[in-house]
Amino acid sequence: MKFITNENLAELLDALKEDYRVFVPVKKTDIGSYPIKKGAQRYYREYEEFTDDIVIGEVRPFEPLKAFFTAAREVVAKGFTSEVPHQEDKPFAIVGVKNCDLRQGFAVQDHVYKDHDYEDPFYVKNRENNLIIASDCTCAIDTCFCRAAGNQPYPEENYDINLSPVRDGYLVEVGSAKGENLLEKHASLIEQVGEERARERDQQRQRVTEEVDSNIEQYEVPTYSKFKSDIIERNWDSDVWYEESKTCVECGACTIICPTCHCFFLYDQKDGDKMERLRVWDSCMLKHYARVAGGENPRGELWMRLRNRFEKKFDFFPKVADFYACTGCGRCVSACPAKIDIRKVLKRLVDNV
Amino acid sequence: MCSGNRDKNIYRPIETEVLDVVTESPAIKTVKLRPREELTFQTGQFIELTVPGVGEAPFTPSSSPAVKDTMDVTIMKVGKVTEKVHELKKGDIVGLRGPYGVGYPLDEYKDKEVLVFGGGVGLAPLRSLMFALLDRIDDFKKLYFRYGAKTPGDIIYKDLVREWSQRKDLDFRITVDKADEEWTGHVGLVTTILDDMDVDLETAIAVVCGPPIMMKFGTFKLLELGFKEHNIYLSMEKNMSCGLGKCGHCRIGTYYACKDGPVFSYDKIKDFHDIWQ
Ligand SMILES: Cc1cc2nc3c(=O)[nH]c(=O)nc-3n(C[C@H](O)[C@H](O)[C@H](O)COP(=O)(O)OP(=O)(O)OC[C@H]3O[C@@H](n4cnc5c(N)ncnc54)[C@H](O)[C@@H]3O)c2cc1C
Ligand code: SF4
Ligand code: SF4
Ligand code: FES
Repeated sequence: MKFITNENLAELLDALKEDYRVFVPVKKTDIGSYPIKKGAQRYYREYEEFTDDIVIGEVRPFEPLKAFFTAAREVVAKGFTSEVPHQEDKPFAIVGVKNCDLRQGFAVQDHVYKDHDYEDPFYVKNRENNLIIASDCTCAIDTCFCRAAGNQPYPEENYDINLSPVRDGYLVEVGSAKGENLLEKHASLIEQVGEERARERDQQRQRVTEEVDSNIEQYEVPTYSKFKSDIIERNWDSDVWYEESKTCVECGACTIICPTCHCFFLYDQKDGDKMERLRVWDSCMLKHYARVAGGENPRGELWMRLRNRFEKKFDFFPKVADFYACTGCGRCVSACPAKIDIRKVLKRLVDNV
Repeated sequence: MCSGNRDKNIYRPIETEVLDVVTESPAIKTVKLRPREELTFQTGQFIELTVPGVGEAPFTPSSSPAVKDTMDVTIMKVGKVTEKVHELKKGDIVGLRGPYGVGYPLDEYKDKEVLVFGGGVGLAPLRSLMFALLDRIDDFKKLYFRYGAKTPGDIIYKDLVREWSQRKDLDFRITVDKADEEWTGHVGLVTTILDDMDVDLETAIAVVCGPPIMMKFGTFKLLELGFKEHNIYLSMEKNMSCGLGKCGHCRIGTYYACKDGPVFSYDKIKDFHDIWQ
């Protein structure tokens, strides 16, 4: 078994700064002087040195991983030249990435942006060049319901290296050739430990799995096997949409924060005498989203937009790509100022059938 | 798939020269464009037209797909981008991306009766289809053209429409909802000029293009007459941004109009909710 100590991990991250912009999750109980109401939040911060607030384990940071692959606002064309506009000097190394973002998050984003007819060159490049150092979750917060969506609380795929927090350091697993090369390059930082350390990891995984399951039970979240039976179609005319959307203030936070939501619009502006085209994240919860010429809007009401959001996640994606576009990360639950809770909506949809 | 700017940056437009601007009606202009790189299309496909620094919008070329070096686009002034399009002059530079989507499967229309059924601004995209059909008119058993406008003043391409009306090989009828002093033709909704057609309803093709309300009632009328669902082709207009099946905007059920359409046979989309909106 490969193992890395805390000190050596710090050294590895320092070394990565040479080739990457390194981002680590940090845990905060305030933003500046504002306390965070619901306990602590985890955010990505660019890594400078190994500080106490860095949390490799625990749960997913608040920002979705997609932000490192399609920026919220990004120049995608300048003038008429076919050159891809200049991007970041260095690719990102993202540390402490959790399985919800990795597995289903990437499943959706890859499906959209790596489509073979029209590959998004920016996404594809980031996917090739960015480095992902994943990690097991070491706890569950009350919004986590990944297992209901079919994910485990530890990385299953799409990582270069995975770190499983154990006593005095991390067990290290390789998930790609890139990860393999990286460990070879920094072989002096990696130790070999006996297979028995895997038990420590497995026990921890088991414990977190139980924590997630107890969340699912407590909030009565239906599991994905129950989503199957056309829940959207059968609830098309149900009151659920209207009732659940009543408090929505149309901020778009639920979709912006979601690791699977991918909608954007292209926005043109002038850059000197040249045109500049930006790809900007969009939200189907916002009124303008489906508006067509002459002001007609097929989804003029909020409840129609809420239904559309659920249709996209739980009907469109399973039909076209065989997966649900919800990872169970719970971010939209924490983000929504109107306290609209996807777990509760799902329960109502399933119960209604 | 058709040839186009399939290079590594799917978002960049091709530099394109405005060769001419023709005023068709107070609200409609046709711009003749010459892209500086190859961009050809099949009838029914659409392009994204960029007014540099202002924005982009989807349009269906109105010229013949057989003309390879230039392209006409007929555009109604409705908002931000189209207003700027109406200010374009000969010699201005714009951008083009595309062609996108799936057009009309003309090969499947061979040896069948074909009805081209349009309303309002739907005539612009149908002009391109008519050029393509008339180019190979011997391939079809018979070609029908049925079109309705609000008033005689709303009928664009007047010379061309007159030319079509005189063709012996085209069964041609148009109508207006409201006549003026000079109008001697039929008055009534477009759905009222279909009754004199004598076609094999098992195989006859109908291509419908117009505003949503016309498409809806036009389709219902065709079904009532006995046209088969899979033989009715609709061109769906949805809010679009990317044209590439990525931005999410144009979804209809399990399809993206920009990629799987904009042309769909009715049987493919009829079970989705709210298709006419
Ligand atoms: C496949 C297709 C083919 C079309 N062909 C033609 C044609 O040949 N001739 C013609 O005159 N018009 C055509 N249209 C409609 C044309 O695209 C709209 O009129 C145009 O987008 C309006 O842009 P605007 O900025 O002037 O209007 P605004 O109302 O100012 O648009 C502002 C915003 O509204 C949205 N929007 C409004 N209407 C549409 C729309 N229909 N599609 C996408 N986004 C919209 C966009 O997000 C846009 O940024 C077509 C539309 C589609 C989808
Ligand atoms: S819908 Fe909510 S819980 Fe599901 S992936 Fe998106 S943010 Fe996470
Ligand atoms: S986060 Fe809540 S209030 Fe904001 S758009 Fe989504 S559902 Fe509405
Ligand atoms: S226009 Fe973007 S998905 Fe169709």
